[in-house]
Amino acid sequence: MTGEPARAGRPTRAPDADPRLAVSVQGVSKEYALGEERVVALANVSLNVDRGVFLALAGPSGSGKSTLLNMIGCIDTPTRGRIVINGRDVSGRTPDELAALRARTIGFVFQTFNLFPVLTAYENVEYPLQHLPEIGRRERRERVLHFLDVVGLADYARHRPNQLSGGQRQRVAIARALVAHPQLVLADEPTANLDHRTGRNILRLMRRINRATKVTFIFSTHDPQVIRMADRRVDLEDGEIVRLGVRARKEWSYAFERAAEPPAFADGETQPGR
Amino acid sequence: MLKLALRNVFRHVGRTSLTMAAIIAGVVGLIVSGGFVHDIFVQLGESVIHSQSGHIQVSREGFRQGGAREPERYRIAHPQPIEKTIAATPGVRDVMARITFSGLLNNGRSDLAINGEGVEPDKEAALGTHLAMVAGRRLRASDEHGVMVGDGVARALKLEPGDRVTLMLSSEGGAVNTADLDVVGVFRTFSKDYDARAIRVPLAAAQDALGTPGISTIVVSLERTEDTDRIAGELEAKLAGQHLDVATWQTLNDFYAKTVKLYERQFDVLRAIILLMVLLSVANSVNMSLFERIPEFGTMRALGDRSGFIVRLVLVECLVLGVAGSAIGAILGVLVSAGISFVGIPMPPPPNSDVGYVARIEIVPVLVLAAFAIGVVATALAGIPAARRAVRIPVVDALRQAI
Repeated sequence: MTGEPARAGRPTRAPDADPRLAVSVQGVSKEYALGEERVVALANVSLNVDRGVFLALAGPSGSGKSTLLNMIGCIDTPTRGRIVINGRDVSGRTPDELAALRARTIGFVFQTFNLFPVLTAYENVEYPLQHLPEIGRRERRERVLHFLDVVGLADYARHRPNQLSGGQRQRVAIARALVAHPQLVLADEPTANLDHRTGRNILRLMRRINRATKVTFIFSTHDPQVIRMADRRVDLEDGEIVRLGVRARKEWSYAFERAAEPPAFADGETQPGR
Repeated sequence: MLKLALRNVFRHVGRTSLTMAAIIAGVVGLIVSGGFVHDIFVQLGESVIHSQSGHIQVSREGFRQGGAREPERYRIAHPQPIEKTIAATPGVRDVMARITFSGLLNNGRSDLAINGEGVEPDKEAALGTHLAMVAGRRLRASDEHGVMVGDGVARALKLEPGDRVTLMLSSEGGAVNTADLDVVGVFRTFSKDYDARAIRVPLAAAQDALGTPGISTIVVSLERTEDTDRIAGELEAKLAGQHLDVATWQTLNDFYAKTVKLYERQFDVLRAIILLMVLLSVANSVNMSLFERIPEFGTMRALGDRSGFIVRLVLVECLVLGVAGSAIGAILGVLVSAGISFVGIPMPPPPNSDVGYVARIEIVPVLVLAAFAIGVVATALAGIPAARRAVRIPVVDALRQAI
């Protein structure tokens, strides 16, 4: 399988794209039909995420953080608004074009790890590279071993997921998310199925990788201890952004405005709002 | 993809075994039922050949249509050169002459209309391996005035070996001739209708009574039944221009073709039922398996796999299952067929017959291959709708099912 998208289908660079931005969410709404009722999961959300940040989407269950993450990950489509990933507008793309975009641009870490049970840790990490035919067998092996080493599982390469603990599985998932050198890693509740200590360790690992590689990490969580480890936070409630935070030392400083234009953080790195 | 497919197939050994069992049962069923039906065709064909018609008959053009009404018009006056030509054809085992007639057989008290054949006893004995003797013995060349009567004739006239009968028939000159004959045996073929009217006398006795040196047909016996069409074609070429008709046993026995057609239609229905059973069993199993794997497919698509890849993966998994199951089924089918054939299945007499037989399961390579192919194709087909359904679920909904 090749991950190379058709030339005609390559997402076009948005004319107003800011090269500093990893993600730009522009007036995005998501509505579901639940029987005869319409449920608004996201209401006209706008958010700009700079490259290299370690951003937490925080909020209670049903606040819209997973929906927003799914939109950014191009695995769900907005009812209104547009999403620009790495300078490219992904609106109106076919499922296959979006699959190709995900393969090259986005790494995923899931709450339930979502490793393939029939593959070893090595093979799980290697899996996304099948979409990158330009990577030869040797480089592929080097990359897989490198990222298994980064997550501390070099000795577990031949283990299958059922032979690993929850924390180890999530480490394999992180290695898998990074192996294709994506610009963006999205993690939906990555610690929800782990105990506190393991969850903290996973977050520390993600943060360490973020700082070492400058890959943008966006993760959703409702755990205050996990949120504390982010250096940016976006709080959602009822499908709306209600608070924006930047961590300075151990304290959060909040910037929040309900303005028509996306408000900016003081340092300009992350500019959320609606 | 193949490695992934193989591992997925064997991730649930129990379920895979159940699915394979359905495929194996289907393939074995196809091989055994197909072999059984084929054996019926073969046995019926051989029975027809070796009790009545031989493999090929050569007669004057028009004999088969008008021979019963005007037999003398279609006599072959000098059969020896023709017999010599036929006997020289490779694959021909034996050539024998027959003269047919109709008349009345009298036992001293009552008459019965019969259809008689003058035959060459020794050659007919070699051909007539499917002619069962109910009483007495077969005709011999030395039986100048002997007669062998069908079971129905014997019953109608209460005849048994040793009895004397009088045959009355019209000679070629139009006179009524009689011949006193001694019953040497009572025979039975697979056809009750034939046995109710048939008698056989030595060729010379029949020719004498009919007042002709000619014959009606030349019966050809072959080494191998499957060479019939080829040799018939060769004979047609060799005998061209002599106003002779070369007819194979299938042409001569119209009911055989009809019986084959009837059984084949029944077997088609059986095959369709087995195919449906395999399809439903495999579809059910594949559906269950794919339903459980929807979050996995969601993950694959999130990581960049296209829907087409997943459909192909499922197809390959089904093909692996189909090939493995069908191969085991084919081997098992051949073994079961051989086992059943070794024991034999005692069969009651078919309709219009008094003779039962022992059925076997023919191992027909074409049928084994067809059963294998049906197993593979049915399994592959069973997986496609489920796979297509699975990839139609939006990625985000598929992933949600993992939670």
